[in-house]
Amino acid sequence: MKATCDKWKDEILEAALTWATSEDFEQHLRSCAICSSELDAARAHKKGLDELLPLVARGAEPPADFKARVLAEVATASEAKRGWRWQLWMLAGATAAMVVLVTGMAAYRRMAQTIPAEDLATVQKLAEWQAPSDGLLRTPGQEILKTMPRFGQSYLNVAAKTDEEE
Amino acid sequence: MTGVFVSALILKAEAPETESGFGERIAENQRRVFQIAYSVLGNSADAEDVAQEAFLRAYQKFDSLREAKKFRAWVNRIVFRLALNRRRGHLRRLTRDTAWQITEALAMIDGARDAEQRVMLERMRKQIELLPDKFRSVLQLSLVEEMEAADVGAILGIPAGTVRSRVHTARKLLLEAMK
Repeated sequence: MKATCDKWKDEILEAALTWATSEDFEQHLRSCAICSSELDAARAHKKGLDELLPLVARGAEPPADFKARVLAEVATASEAKRGWRWQLWMLAGATAAMVVLVTGMAAYRRMAQTIPAEDLATVQKLAEWQAPSDGLLRTPGQEILKTMPRFGQSYLNVAAKTDEEE
Repeated sequence: MTGVFVSALILKAEAPETESGFGERIAENQRRVFQIAYSVLGNSADAEDVAQEAFLRAYQKFDSLREAKKFRAWVNRIVFRLALNRRRGHLRRLTRDTAWQITEALAMIDGARDAEQRVMLERMRKQIELLPDKFRSVLQLSLVEEMEAADVGAILGIPAGTVRSRVHTARKLLLEAMK
């Protein structure tokens, strides 16, 4: 391609792709053999491109058993999903049962710790009760024996009677 | 505990219905989904893996994708994204690859009638890879059957008019590169 023909480069590609040519370009083609042959070559390449391009996407087909294979995968996946959901439900059920059990036990313990007022009054009366025999068992020496004598003191801290007193 | 058994029974009962409705969706979309993956990845083994993965993901969201149109749009988007992710992984591997692995990658290209066409197709794929992202994506997606400019635009988040103009530019760039 001559340097002067460089400006028609884009026109050649456009004409090859769309078959549309401007009037100026048509005029140039009539006088320029190089551009004319460039256009023919570009059109031939375009034809080859048109044959090959669809193969980029349509060069292969999905296998005949593609659907069956996908459905088999789906079945496996959904089985696993179902198992997982079932386990989740089991876990949720077990947790709920534990919560109910713990709450029930706590409520029961709280109820067991509360003593009715009537029972409490009875218990207090019992605590204050003294056996009648306690009074009978009192002796005069009981007061003396209440304290422990210090070292050197008489065990029986009773004042000795003098002769004058007698 | 009764609740546990009731819910297990409900799950078991609703599963076959879901799977049968889903089977219809696979049948309607499998060809296009596979082609989207294939246009990006260039080999059927990877395309099949990616298409399968897309359908499995769609199944997980099937409750919200019952409507055919919604399902189609969603699965188109997801398979394209998954294919791009896988291609990035391939490119990373190829960068640190040895020659025999590259040769193997070339041998994996299918869909070409003969050796010459295979070579040409491989050359074209390489040229497509070299296109700027915005042109490469529209070109690959527009080559898929039943994909209108609006569908391509929905995947890429651009208007249909932009898709058409980018496809034209992509073809022009490709033609120039393949001369």
